[in-house]
Amino acid sequence: MSAESDMEYSDNDGDDYDYYGEHDDCDMETVDRSKSDPEYFIYSCLKVEEVEKLLNESIELLSNSLQVTPSLAKVMLHAYEWNAQEIINKYKENANEVLVYSRVKPRVASLSQASTSRAVCAVCANTPPIHKYSALACGHYFCNDCWAMHFEVQITQGVSNTIQCMAQDCEVRAPEDFVISHVPKSTLRERYQQFMFKDHVKSHPQLRFCPGPNCQWIFRAWVREGARRVECRGCELITCFSCGAPHHAPTDCSTIRRWLTKCADDSETANYISAHTKDCPKCQICIEKNGGCNHMQCGACRFDFCWVCLGDWKAHGSEYYECSRYKEDPNLANDSQHAQAREALKKYLHYYERWENHARSLKLEEQTLASLKSRINQKVMAGEGTWIDWQYLWDAARLLKRCRYTLQYTYPFAYYMEVGPRKELFEYQQAQLEAEIENLSWKVERAETTHRGDLENQMDIAEKRRTTLLKDFLELNTNVASSSSKV
Amino acid sequence: MANIAAKRIKREFKEVMKSEEVAGGAIKLELLDNSWTELQGEIAGPPDTPYEGGTFLLEIKVPETYPFNPPKIRFMTKIWHPNVSSVTGAICLDILKDQWAAALTLRTVLLSIQALLSAAEPNDPQDAVVAKQYKENPTLFALTARHWTHAYAGGPAAIRDFDAKVQRLLDMGVDEHQARVALSTYDWELERATEQLFNREE
Ligand SMILES: [Zn+2]
Ligand SMILES: [Zn+2]
Ligand SMILES: [Zn+2]
Ligand SMILES: [Zn+2]
Ligand SMILES: [Zn+2]
Ligand SMILES: [Zn+2]
Repeated sequence: MSAESDMEYSDNDGDDYDYYGEHDDCDMETVDRSKSDPEYFIYSCLKVEEVEKLLNESIELLSNSLQVTPSLAKVMLHAYEWNAQEIINKYKENANEVLVYSRVKPRVASLSQASTSRAVCAVCANTPPIHKYSALACGHYFCNDCWAMHFEVQITQGVSNTIQCMAQDCEVRAPEDFVISHVPKSTLRERYQQFMFKDHVKSHPQLRFCPGPNCQWIFRAWVREGARRVECRGCELITCFSCGAPHHAPTDCSTIRRWLTKCADDSETANYISAHTKDCPKCQICIEKNGGCNHMQCGACRFDFCWVCLGDWKAHGSEYYECSRYKEDPNLANDSQHAQAREALKKYLHYYERWENHARSLKLEEQTLASLKSRINQKVMAGEGTWIDWQYLWDAARLLKRCRYTLQYTYPFAYYMEVGPRKELFEYQQAQLEAEIENLSWKVERAETTHRGDLENQMDIAEKRRTTLLKDFLELNTNVASSSSKV
Repeated sequence: MANIAAKRIKREFKEVMKSEEVAGGAIKLELLDNSWTELQGEIAGPPDTPYEGGTFLLEIKVPETYPFNPPKIRFMTKIWHPNVSSVTGAICLDILKDQWAAALTLRTVLLSIQALLSAAEPNDPQDAVVAKQYKENPTLFALTARHWTHAYAGGPAAIRDFDAKVQRLLDMGVDEHQARVALSTYDWELERATEQLFNREE
């Protein structure tokens, strides 16, 4: 298999996860997967040309059925969020209303104000011959040089679909053909059309640009609320279709935005945490963390401890993994403001520390993944079995990455959760997931000496914990999600 | 500067000079340099407002791309108004931003700013502190605005109580404008204003 193309989810042999990758809009066998995977989401990842084709279909449909130019169809589609059918229906009822709403035509009131002379241009005060004037549907005539300047200034500022007439209080928009015919520079015309395309994608409720740096791919999906996982075919970035942030289940869109803003604001306070080294809690020797696993073993005294809380690891393996839980001080309400502020910071740091730590572990585990690949290659070259024989190691490392990713995003969720039985249940499940992930991480880092059955068993347990937590807490119910995640 | 811009400004300047508003003393326009890029506007505080009797100076900068981009205008005279920053004089007015149209002129802009003094838009504030007072305590807002008009724009109505409080802070060694800002911000409660002024230096 080609390892480069699927660092996150395998799409090689139709196993459980290939549906995260690409698929077509039709012929989807959806029933089973939507049940087994709480993050299941139908989407496609398209090239610019494919999206252009898609948009052109809407433009053609509208321009044919209403008998308007493609340019005017674009103005209307932009105003109605690309719902061609809605425009066609409304147009049949009241064509004028649609044209006014789209700002193709002025409101009747402003028509009466239209009294621009073609003797002197109101913008430049020049007096060109009468055939060198033009106007939009509102009848506000200005000289062609001024239109050209107006469009140049607007395009340079990144405006495209919403360029307006130059008259005071006139909101009529200039359609594409009018703009193009007044802009002499071809480079400027090209920029205008690029901006237009970007704007179309942004105004289209089914489309979203992949937020990856310099990435040209575009996602298409039909639902735009709740945490919706989409993976880019180009840059492999995994983001949320609804809000464009990094994928964040089980946390919802508005909560993750709050959390990320808070982290950015408080990064100074929390900076001291980002140390890569800590002292062994038993023998105080300095230990550097170089793998993703939080189960640490001191090289000097062999003490097993937890990187996050520095507690004895043995206590973590037990029924209730306490490390992920934050214990609120019950006497807090009686304390002074100052103490409350300190407690608030303590609480934030508790969640932030774990959030940051899993992010770092993820990065380190990515390195493990890369070195694992070359280790497997070496084994295969040395005749120790084939890729297929070692495939399970690779799968384990990738599953670990996915589990830890979800675990990282459980922390903002828990931070904003109200204290109560539901939070208790959540933190219980989170603790269980955390424990199993650390077990898995420990085994993956020592994969070659771990029994294969043992490893596969651990993979199964960790993934089950992850899906259980998501099933219970990922709220994709449209009513719940829509109130909090409108973009 | 671009040909169109200079030509337009020259024409507008003449238009304003001939207008009835200049004759009536409501607005004024002055040229600051020969390149037509910087002008100074002047508007009279509208009658029946806390700004009545005051004269407000405006800095007008004409961009290269004028009139396809709006002129940059701010208050040089300090003013207490929800849509004007009490610190920088920046104005929040739609026609100076996204509602600008190339066919608009300096005369219409000056008259619009004057109209803004008669009818504030507290829901689109430039100065959050002022806007809050405007909404929650309109009477105190009007008095504060009148006090500022008197202090900075030559308005006639002195408000004794306010002047006395400013003087108290002056006696403590506070800068006059700082004192006025603190008192205005804290609804003229001397104690809170003092606390804020002296805590800041901690
Ligand atoms: Zn012209
Ligand atoms: Zn018009
Ligand atoms: Zn991408
Ligand atoms: Zn989201
Ligand atoms: Zn040790
Ligand atoms: Zn721990």
